[in-house]
Amino acid sequence: MIAETPSARLASEDFGAKAGVKPSYGSWLFGTIAGWGAFLGFLLFISWFLLALTRLCIWVGDQIPLDWGLSPAIGTILALVLVLVMITATLLTMADRKWSALMQDRVGPNRARLSIIPGLKDRPLHGLPHILADVLKMLFKEDFIPEGAEKNKFLFNLAPLLAFAPAFMLFAVVPVSPELTFWGARMQLQVARVDWGILYVFALASVAVFGTALAGWTSNNKLALLGGLRASAQLVSYEVTLGLTLVGALIVFGSLRLDVMAQLQGMTEASIRTAAALANRSGDFLVHDDSVIFGWLPSWGIVFQPIGAILFLVAAQAEIKRAPFDTPEGESEIIGYFLEYSGLKSGLFLIAEYAETVVVAGIVTGIFLGGYHLPWVEPTIVRSADQWLGISGFSWLAVLQVFSFIVKMLFIIWVMFIARWAFPRFRYDQIMRLGWKMMLPVSLANVALTAFVYLWGGRDGLAIMGLLEWLAIFSFVALSSRPHLPEPAHEAHH
Amino acid sequence: MKPTTDLDFGERFYLREAVKGMGVIARHFWKNLLGFRDPNAEIMQRKGPGVNMVSTMNYPEERKAYPPGYRGMHRLVPRIDGKPRCVACYMCATACPAQCIYIEAGEYDDQAIEKYPVRFEIDELRCIVCGFCVEACPKDAIRMDTGTHAPAVLSRPLAVFDKEALLQGPAVEHPSDLMTYRVPLRTPSADPTAGPTSRGDVKDH
Ligand code: SF4
Ligand code: SF4
Repeated sequence: MIAETPSARLASEDFGAKAGVKPSYGSWLFGTIAGWGAFLGFLLFISWFLLALTRLCIWVGDQIPLDWGLSPAIGTILALVLVLVMITATLLTMADRKWSALMQDRVGPNRARLSIIPGLKDRPLHGLPHILADVLKMLFKEDFIPEGAEKNKFLFNLAPLLAFAPAFMLFAVVPVSPELTFWGARMQLQVARVDWGILYVFALASVAVFGTALAGWTSNNKLALLGGLRASAQLVSYEVTLGLTLVGALIVFGSLRLDVMAQLQGMTEASIRTAAALANRSGDFLVHDDSVIFGWLPSWGIVFQPIGAILFLVAAQAEIKRAPFDTPEGESEIIGYFLEYSGLKSGLFLIAEYAETVVVAGIVTGIFLGGYHLPWVEPTIVRSADQWLGISGFSWLAVLQVFSFIVKMLFIIWVMFIARWAFPRFRYDQIMRLGWKMMLPVSLANVALTAFVYLWGGRDGLAIMGLLEWLAIFSFVALSSRPHLPEPAHEAHH
Repeated sequence: MKPTTDLDFGERFYLREAVKGMGVIARHFWKNLLGFRDPNAEIMQRKGPGVNMVSTMNYPEERKAYPPGYRGMHRLVPRIDGKPRCVACYMCATACPAQCIYIEAGEYDDQAIEKYPVRFEIDELRCIVCGFCVEACPKDAIRMDTGTHAPAVLSRPLAVFDKEALLQGPAVEHPSDLMTYRVPLRTPSADPTAGPTSRGDVKDH
């Protein structure tokens, strides 16, 4: 009877939740464009800010009558380590969670609010207040030292620092810009221009082992010790591959210096100047970038060394102990080496991981992704932007080069995060087998092949080899359809 | 040694499958980042060009309507003059297995109906949401059709809802009401859309 009477409606219709707001494509489009514009604008501003901060320190150094010559170094340390690495690492703690949410069709953390600021009441702000909440949580947590670790308190406290410091020190050799003139001063966004750049990377990467081993050992806890052992063994194993993959890059560029490596992947300032001057005379708009191989291929490390680049990225992922190589930590089930740490010390281990990610991305960018170079367009930018707003073309180019470095670095970080969420954690024996029985032989073969091709065909030969390797990898990945489905098993019964 | 899997060479080589897996993850990432969010509460009905795949509902801000027939928070149904329909017969309190209904009866002097509840309290923490009170009521005076659940409270006494809190929602009038009232109630000339609803009466649109 009830079904026949039209007014027999149940009151959930009277009281029910309001229908959702109809989506508006206009506001979505506006939001997307505004968001990307703000993001890229922020990156451009940071690029300019890094240069300006260094320039400011040089200026301050010039005002001091003492001739220390330290001001460029202090400026770059401030700009790169404190601004670039620290800000990126801090933002990555949040980006890791937000990006993983996007990869897994979730929304991600958005509950922290800055409600004490009147305009921001009940605004999730895409989860950014969580950074603040996390920092406050870390700071105000009890810094507990377990009884077993009391005996060697010094080493126990030293371990997080040993894990944290190398990550930041590593960035000293990463070139973020070429040597350039900015507001009338010669400078370069690189802390240390040293002849042993790559060796410094390897040396400091080994120091990170001390941090993990010490943490596992001084905690005086069996599980932490096992975690420390796993970490040490893994780090030592993958350092071999890490070193050997870079030998290929050494052969290609013929230098241990990262700034030289980055410089060789694009045009030098002098040749840009010449090319721009020539184009000015002939009136061309497009100026040819003479660093490209065969007239079109950017001479990036990834072109010469595809296998080296991929192996380096994988080995680096293992070296910084991120998934799928995170058996040393294994937060969720096999407890890791920083089990006994609490409060800010545990936070140091966590932020060190993100700082290491930034540094590895920086090194990969510098060696394999052309560093700060923009392919094809550098002389054109200098020529067409010259004296725009009264600023020389080289200053515009400098900002754009730092910008391109940051964008490439973020891309590598993004790839590492993608890998983190795409793969399940490797078992410990799988890690060892992958490291010693697969990646080590392949990297050795890569070194031998690179050396042979270099002797035989020089850089052009290496470029052809690299293109062939890319072709092989792409076709192997693309031809992925299985040739036939497995036969049904019932044949076997007869 | 014969491999114990039926994976082909490319799958066992791992690289190809790894790249494909990263491709899947990257596709989800970009689709969810650039795609636009259809806030339809029915997740299965979210569709349209460029809609992302995030199926989360941000709960306190976005809510999904409970299905019809959901036994939610109680309400005391008002008459069209705004007074509760309840005649304080204690049937619901008697039927309640959790004994969470407390009623004190009073008497109208000037009304068509003699009895009314002076106090009518339901302890929503003790309630087991069985709906027996609704079944027991002879006057259709208590319903669980608010479509919300009992709200969270900060202390136990706050979970006891009194008559004023319970008396809410659209008024209900039955044709049989006229037979039981000594004097016909004055019907307010409300607009028909906001008129009384009940399960019995026929309403023309
Ligand atoms: S729903 Fe059941 S337990 Fe709750 S008040 Fe009604 S009769 Fe009592
Ligand atoms: S709500 Fe219904 S059953 Fe309960 S006392 Fe009132 S009239 Fe009687």
